[in-house]
Amino acid sequence: MMWSVNEGNRKSQGRTSSSRGASFTLRKSSVVFGSTVALDSVDLHIGSGEAVGFVGLSGAGKTTLLCLLNGTVRPTGGTVQVDGRDLATLSFEELRKVRSGIGFVHQDLSLIPNLRVLHNVLAGRLGKLSFWGGMRAFLFPQRRYVHQIHEILERVGIPEKIYERTDRLSGGQRQRVAIARALFQEPVGLLADEPVSSVDPARARSAVSLLTEISREQGLTLCVSLHNLHLAREFFPRLVGLRAGRVVFDRATEQVTEDEFEALYDLNGV
Amino acid sequence: MSDRELKLRYLRSQRPRSRFAYWSALLLLVVMIGSWFVGDFQVEDFLSERRLQNLTRFLHELIPYPLQERDFNLGIALKWAGEILAEKGWSAMVVTLAISVAAIVLAGFGGAFFSLPAARNFTSPEPFLPSLRNPHWAWRFLWRALVWMTRLFLIFVRSIPEYMWAFLLLAVLGPTAWPAVLALALHNLGTLGKLGAEVVENTEPSPLSALRGLGASHLQIAFTGLFPLTFSRFLLFLFYRWETCVREATVLGMLGIVSLGYWIQDSRARNHYDEMFFLVLLGAALVLIGDLLSSLARETIRRFS
Amino acid sequence: MKMTRSWDRAFLHKGLGVRRILILAILSGGIWAFVQLDLNPADLVPTSGGVQVAWAFFSRALSPAIVYEAEFVPSDTPPLLWKALQAAGTTVVFASAAMSLALIWGLLLGFLASSSWWVGDPAGGAGNVTAFVRRSIAPVVYGSTRVLIAFMRSIHELIWAVLFLAAFGLSHLSAVIAIAIPFGGTLAKIFSEMIDEAPRDVAHAFRGSGASATHVYLFGLVPRALPDMTAYSFYRFECALRSSAILGFFGYPTLGFYIAASFENLHYGEVWTYLYTLLVLVILVDWWSGALRKRFVV
Ligand SMILES: Nc1ncnc2c1ncn2[C@@H]1O[C@H](COP(=O)(O)OP(=O)(O)OP(=O)(O)O)[C@@H](O)[C@H]1O
Ligand SMILES: [Mg+2]
Repeated sequence: MMWSVNEGNRKSQGRTSSSRGASFTLRKSSVVFGSTVALDSVDLHIGSGEAVGFVGLSGAGKTTLLCLLNGTVRPTGGTVQVDGRDLATLSFEELRKVRSGIGFVHQDLSLIPNLRVLHNVLAGRLGKLSFWGGMRAFLFPQRRYVHQIHEILERVGIPEKIYERTDRLSGGQRQRVAIARALFQEPVGLLADEPVSSVDPARARSAVSLLTEISREQGLTLCVSLHNLHLAREFFPRLVGLRAGRVVFDRATEQVTEDEFEALYDLNGV
Repeated sequence: MSDRELKLRYLRSQRPRSRFAYWSALLLLVVMIGSWFVGDFQVEDFLSERRLQNLTRFLHELIPYPLQERDFNLGIALKWAGEILAEKGWSAMVVTLAISVAAIVLAGFGGAFFSLPAARNFTSPEPFLPSLRNPHWAWRFLWRALVWMTRLFLIFVRSIPEYMWAFLLLAVLGPTAWPAVLALALHNLGTLGKLGAEVVENTEPSPLSALRGLGASHLQIAFTGLFPLTFSRFLLFLFYRWETCVREATVLGMLGIVSLGYWIQDSRARNHYDEMFFLVLLGAALVLIGDLLSSLARETIRRFS
Repeated sequence: MKMTRSWDRAFLHKGLGVRRILILAILSGGIWAFVQLDLNPADLVPTSGGVQVAWAFFSRALSPAIVYEAEFVPSDTPPLLWKALQAAGTTVVFASAAMSLALIWGLLLGFLASSSWWVGDPAGGAGNVTAFVRRSIAPVVYGSTRVLIAFMRSIHELIWAVLFLAAFGLSHLSAVIAIAIPFGGTLAKIFSEMIDEAPRDVAHAFRGSGASATHVYLFGLVPRALPDMTAYSFYRFECALRSSAILGFFGYPTLGFYIAASFENLHYGEVWTYLYTLLVLVILVDWWSGALRKRFVV
């Protein structure tokens, strides 16, 4: 293992730079939707293998920021770099390649309810397959894929559900399917958008802990947006506070003061 | 065999799946492919020399008669089209439209009426309420029987196609527009009644049970509760069915009612294929206009309800 | 929640304006139609000949024929019920052959006509020529496909049959194609609408994981619309059965042929036998699709 697990404190501390995780750099990135400014000139660097929590009120721009990182939203100003490459200069194929290396667990999970878990997870690999490869994998899944998926499902705790229809699962189990799909991409970066919003507090905690553990094991860069401050503080060594599209603070968790949190969640003056 | 493989095999053997769906899919596939072998569809014959010659002759005759022996001239073409329109095309279109409208209005009233006894939650001794008084079983049975009788009636009128109804009614009623109108109305009454019953059964019951709790009778519930709650959705279905009514009304004329189909059949019998084709296009235009009006109406209903 | 709102509305007589206008429009349309067609309720009373026919016909509803009603039947004719079964078989064969064609081009045209097939990537790279080309030809392709679909649909299957009859002469294949053309058009229209209206969240997620536009479409959008598409195809199959039966009136050996023949020979009991055969066919398909839907759609 590249890095030591500190039993008392789950937070990842000194990650080595040799980790295989992706690095992200935003330079003066802005996103404007019509008349709403979702992100306003954000500067941010996330190093390889880091685990970062994004906190902020609803509408602060967390989802938009995560979408910038995997290139599904285009900045209207500034640049987005993944592993040092500016996404705007990439060709379509190159962009697809970058995306296929970044797993994204969506706020609404985005699973196909009437398919089996196996197929939902399988879909994570589509970005790395050719047209016919994808057809083959979807219609007649190869044994090695099935094994790999079973392994991943074991890791997220629902191996026995592999052939179950996704809409027969509970909310927490579905969330695990969404995480498994992102992992089956064999990603170098993992983005999770409020993985706790649709489940009860105990499940929320276990979902976040699962994400941090897995990305620690595999050396992935992890970015998670959260509403829950306790979880954010417990699991992430670095926190980024967003408010109305701007970065309010961006530092190690211990150094974020109570006042700053209060200011971040102050509903007055929004 | 690895441990994982064993586990996966076990899980796979236990996977929930529907034998019914599986066999259905297989049966469908067999029927669809098999029909090409069982049926007498001679593809070679279809593409034979004789038929293709026939086709070329036919295509040539689709050109308007005054233009067949000369270069294209828009003036002549328009004059030819104008004459057909004035002579029969226009009035046939109006008749076709009128048949469809008359039919859908009748079908609408009939369908709305029959959708009530066909809805299981309405047609019970205690509509929309769990039975408080626990009525006598014979009484309950009578209500249930009413539901099944209505449904049987609806499915019966629905499964006989419009054209067949028109054919049968023509012999009974003689050559007025009634057979066409009634034929369309009957078939669509069956469809609307079924759809309407589904709407009633899917209606959120709480306001209706509240009404029943206040002591409203069946009729009062229907008028003050169900009508406002289900009206828009029923209208959506009505306009959707009207679209098909226009389509069907064009062909019912083939039985002798003077709509577009009558003149299409007539010009075919006289081998005036150019005229026939023009009338077919008129029918297509009418159907498209109907589609457009219907989708506009449905859009309006969706917006305002 | 939503229901309570419309409930309130109904009682507050809001939105009744539009409703009232629509009812008035429908009623005045009906009156116009009745006047235009000269529909006189008095004509509903059958003519004296009609009464006899009506009585003779409807009195047999509860006693359909089991054997031929004709006095003389050629010795090599199969029993009536067997013949009814054969006619039903032919009706099914015509309908399913037509549906197999209609499904093929319904799916193809449906894919082409749905605009989501063409939606490029919102965040394409800098010199994204493919996305540009795709985006600029898209309206042309789906626009022209929709025009084609509208044309196929707007001509009734019986009129297609008449056209083919004139063009090719009587051929079983032309009957099948006559049904398949408008049915394919309708399937294509409804399929494309169902796919375009399917929730987009999954498609967005797939795109974010680098899947190609084709994969996004086939595995992200189509599966979500599939249960509805199946149910609708079954419904169209039911309609195809009816259309195929009707084609018998034009000389094809389906149920309509025997119904017309028996009716014209005044063998009303036989007519009912054939009518009930059609009824059973339609009910079977209806029940089958209902049973499947219960297992598919949750
Ligand atoms: N596709 C879009 N079109 C228009 N406006 C958008 C779009 N996506 C986001 N916005 C706007 O951008 C702002 C930021 O949205 P974003 O979804 O990033 O917030 P968030 O922090 O994720 O909120 P939440 O916690 O509720 O998920 C909001 O004001 C939102 O209305
Ligand atoms: Mg969000």
